[in-house]
Amino acid sequence: MATEYALRMGDGMRISLTKEKILEELEAGSADAADLGEIPTLSGNKIEKLAEILMMPGKAVSVEQGMEVPVTHDIGTLRIDGDQGNSGVGIPTSRLAGCMLHERAFGADTMELGHIDYSFKPVKPVVANETQAMEVCQQNMIIPLFYGAMPNMGLYYTPDGPFENPGDLMKAFKIQEARESMEHAAEHLTRDTVWVMQRLMASGADGVNFDTTAAAGDADMFGTLHAVETLRKEFPKMYIEVGMAGEIVLGMHGELEYDGKILAGIWPHQQAPLAAKAGANVFGPVCNTNTSKTSAWNLARAVTFMKAAVEASPIPCHVDMGMGVGGIPMLETPPIDAVTRASKAMVEVAGVDGI
Amino acid sequence: MASKEELIQELSDAVISCKKDRVLEAVEKAKGVMEPAEIIEKGLAAGMNEVGTLFERGKLFLPHVMMAADAMTAGVQVLEAEMPVGEQKKKMGVIVNGTVEGDVHDIGKSIVSTMLQSAGFEVHDIGRDVPIRNFVEKAKEVNANMIGLSALMTTTMPGQKEVIELLKEEGMRDRVKVMVGGAPATQAWADKIGADCYAENASEAVAKAKELIVGK
Amino acid sequence: MPISHIMASGMTGIRAAGDLVARMQFSKNMRIKEAKEYVAKKLGVDTMDLSDEYVMRELREELDIGVITSVPTAAKGIAAKMNIEKLLEIEINSCDLFRRQIA
Repeated sequence: MATEYALRMGDGMRISLTKEKILEELEAGSADAADLGEIPTLSGNKIEKLAEILMMPGKAVSVEQGMEVPVTHDIGTLRIDGDQGNSGVGIPTSRLAGCMLHERAFGADTMELGHIDYSFKPVKPVVANETQAMEVCQQNMIIPLFYGAMPNMGLYYTPDGPFENPGDLMKAFKIQEARESMEHAAEHLTRDTVWVMQRLMASGADGVNFDTTAAAGDADMFGTLHAVETLRKEFPKMYIEVGMAGEIVLGMHGELEYDGKILAGIWPHQQAPLAAKAGANVFGPVCNTNTSKTSAWNLARAVTFMKAAVEASPIPCHVDMGMGVGGIPMLETPPIDAVTRASKAMVEVAGVDGI
Repeated sequence: MASKEELIQELSDAVISCKKDRVLEAVEKAKGVMEPAEIIEKGLAAGMNEVGTLFERGKLFLPHVMMAADAMTAGVQVLEAEMPVGEQKKKMGVIVNGTVEGDVHDIGKSIVSTMLQSAGFEVHDIGRDVPIRNFVEKAKEVNANMIGLSALMTTTMPGQKEVIELLKEEGMRDRVKVMVGGAPATQAWADKIGADCYAENASEAVAKAKELIVGK
Repeated sequence: MPISHIMASGMTGIRAAGDLVARMQFSKNMRIKEAKEYVAKKLGVDTMDLSDEYVMRELREELDIGVITSVPTAAKGIAAKMNIEKLLEIEINSCDLFRRQIA
């Protein structure tokens, strides 16, 4: 009987696969990404390398010494005391303590301050609280400290915001009205983000992390890229990271362009140059995990997308590797064996500049 | 004169072009050669399926899907006017779709509603942050075949289970199918709470809804 | 999970030289290889040493750019970052703010 190796499904469940089956899954995952993104599949030796990583006997694996990369953190301050049920572990601590724990106890390379709602729009009424927290943290910390939040353009649509919900308009075949609603929302998203970050930069922030860009589709990305452009003009030395929400920019609007390129339907290797053009220093490509597929399929798919993004990007790429992305299972407590294998694969096979 | 295969291709291409004029023109050309039901099934519906695939692949976008659906509807209306009563295209099924209470995520659920509607289902999108009872009440009101339940947070997923429990209490579970979706939902979760299916994305939601309701 | 990543792939921040490499990526758009080479040159070490706690523990204290333990009189917070500015020849926003505040 052929030797079987312990892997995971995309939802985290343990499975056992033979080497032959692992290779088959890796090839299928890579082929799926290549087909969708019109990018090269992973070569035979890259597939072999991934298989080797997945079949390593240890529970935790790591990159070869000398290949380490910076690990940047999003929402980390809230992971300690957050109690929203799916990110935080509910230990009563201040955000300063959360930041310092990551710097001094956990060994994070960069850190981020964020607020519990984690979207830019709701920061406006509490911005003094955020600037105060930023100043106190910056006084005490050494590693780069960003302010981070999600563009989350959905908050600008009814019932949360002033503009009619384009989803409802689309269903009523009011396509032009839906598009206008998205354009208005994007303008407000740009304006609010810039306003918030002007204040955070005045309080000593190292920069900004846009988390889950394009979650609301192409107009969300349009608004974000314009915010990046405005911030870059105003703050030439600001650190700007643009992290994405998924591998594809959903075409909700369909006609919005940035730098002459249609934003709808673009993949990580096409997104990276646009983030750079807008003025980002670091791009955070994403590939979502399919919970019905194996970790081998998901990892090869994610590595194929990320490798193409790294090669096309004029700026460093810090791949997003949280719960349910980057080949990591969609589970609140992702298994360490799967996380460390995905981590090693992204650095050694995809060649990412950071995580 | 164009062959049947060429006409079918022309009908399908017209839907993919998302242009109502082209669809109506193709329907007019095909009318003398093919039966209305065949024009709809082999030409227009096939084109719409391709539109769904192209959306998933990032080649067409949501406005295109809606324009294609609008164009197809116009073509179907022309054909139905000429079909004998009883042979007219029946709606594929009635679906109530929404995001469960406590969860304000709207966009993914709206895309699913749009794609289901484009595929020919009668969709009642009851929004986001919807109280559990509202799903069941709406299903009763519109005599739904299926309820779609979206949840984007692990904290709100239990709402999907509560709707299923309420359907059982109301004695409706046997006649109303339940589909679950959203980032933290999985097939294992669907199995655990007794949902009829789990869909990974919008096109899978359409395929599974067809399978469950129409049986194909 | 973040700790799993740090253990698997990270440069471990101020335990070694992860913060310095990250600063070069963000302030000068440097890819990983270039950022490591730049920092290693400024520190007078090999790129391999940038993730080596043995090398970096002593070097960080000597350069007074912040260490992980509570060493009395060692630069902390803004003071450590001001030394990092000089070492890497970059400007750090919080240090600029501090300078404006005491001017």
